[in-house]
Amino acid sequence: MVVKTQQSIHPADIMVVTIAHLLRDKERVFHGVSSQLPMVAILLAKAMHAKDLTYLNIPGGVNPQSQHLSPYSSAGYEQYTRSEAVFPLEEIFDLSMRGQLDVAFLSGVQFDMHGNVNASVIGDYHKPKVRLPGGAGSAVLIPTVKRALIWRSKHDPRTFVEQVDFVTTKGNIDRIITPLAVFKYQDGRLHLDAISPLTTMEEVVKQTGFRVNTANVSILPLPTAEELRIIQKIDKHGVRYKEF
Amino acid sequence: MKKIISCSKAIETIKDGSWIAIGGNVLHRSPMGLVRELVRQQKTSLKVVKTAGAHDVDVLVRGGCVESVDAGFISYETEYGLATYYRKAVENGSVQANEHACYTVISALNAAKIGVPFMPVRGLQISDLIEANPYFDKVIDPFCGEEITVVKAIRPDVAIIHVNACDEEGNAIIDGPKFDDLLMSRAAKRVILSTEKIISNAQVRLNQDKVVIPGFLVEAIVLMPRGSAPGSLPGHYDVQDKVLREFLERKDEDSFGGYLDMYSVQDQEKGGGFSW
Repeated sequence: MVVKTQQSIHPADIMVVTIAHLLRDKERVFHGVSSQLPMVAILLAKAMHAKDLTYLNIPGGVNPQSQHLSPYSSAGYEQYTRSEAVFPLEEIFDLSMRGQLDVAFLSGVQFDMHGNVNASVIGDYHKPKVRLPGGAGSAVLIPTVKRALIWRSKHDPRTFVEQVDFVTTKGNIDRIITPLAVFKYQDGRLHLDAISPLTTMEEVVKQTGFRVNTANVSILPLPTAEELRIIQKIDKHGVRYKEF
Repeated sequence: MKKIISCSKAIETIKDGSWIAIGGNVLHRSPMGLVRELVRQQKTSLKVVKTAGAHDVDVLVRGGCVESVDAGFISYETEYGLATYYRKAVENGSVQANEHACYTVISALNAAKIGVPFMPVRGLQISDLIEANPYFDKVIDPFCGEEITVVKAIRPDVAIIHVNACDEEGNAIIDGPKFDDLLMSRAAKRVILSTEKIISNAQVRLNQDKVVIPGFLVEAIVLMPRGSAPGSLPGHYDVQDKVLREFLERKDEDSFGGYLDMYSVQDQEKGGGFSW
């Protein structure tokens, strides 16, 4: 195998590995629709350090074993086939409501320093300039899941803003993972936790619409050859790049 | 046997302004043939309810059938992008987007299912959705004195659901993911099924464990092979990529007419021409 150079590594690969490292063995982990990148990260974690992680999804397949990943969906038959039990969306929500879901993956379009998440509208809710898809489960899952992990494939001043247009939900975010950086939510604020090895601090500051503290920020590791090999085996056709 | 009727007859029973629950999830196992017939019959002011919709809602909105959509998420997934017709209609004010968390749709249907007017929902505490929407409110828990958000019940006038197989009474089998369809079948006042195939009552009796919607809840059945196309039927057929791309890219009236025409035989033939 050719050893990949730093230049050939895609930001999605860094995100997948970063997310996988955040997942722990034996955790119950859920992702929803349009979630191909976290899906690959979950499968990577299960193949490495978290073999007993329980993987949950919308169709309800518990730990499914599909031979391939769908190019267009993270809520289809691939998440159901050869699973070891059926535990559908409704029950996953119930699990979170009673405090027994460990991790949920969610996204959004705007985030501000105070941990507000907007996945609903740009502009006024009743007369929106842009109607977004909606927060899906965010408004009930982020407050009730033990750790809400948010990922977003865009990192620019329109995504990380001073003040979101609409609060779909707020708080209880564990981390936000982007192609440039990782934010941690602590004491009611987002803190820059780490930056990608493919970018610079100047770039992260420039692309973030609120002031960030640049002290005590680490640099994420590059994926190892072994990690890249497993990712490629899991995701042969590159569904993790679909959002980019 | 009387329940098996043509697609057009089944859809004729749905009145303008009805609350309509649509089975399936995003691009999977939506009752697309029934949805297209709603457009052909030019239904108006439908109030759609679904946790996560995509092409189904986009087709109904493009056809001018929709007044409001109660859902947690309306979009194709990453590959096909946003539900472009839905999005534009909400932005120009012709369709009202009633955003839920997916779970609050489930809770609203659950309330209808068990015959109560509203349902308490944990988690939904800090959200502009509560103030912005009349179907959310906060009440005081009479036992603990703590505040909790409630969601108003949604009792659909009709649920339209696509299934893999059913007998002539509507005892229905769904292979693979059920999504929220069983809940919808219990919450709605009426249930209309489209089905890939009709099986005998004897076959049902040998497989009653697999029957997830009992026939006594079902009012009408439309025989419709490939009834989820261009969406997928999990484990049986996949999406029609080219059809979806054309639908999203070609926005003129002619191409929408062409889209409906392309399926007119498929949507009507079996049910319409069915004789026992």
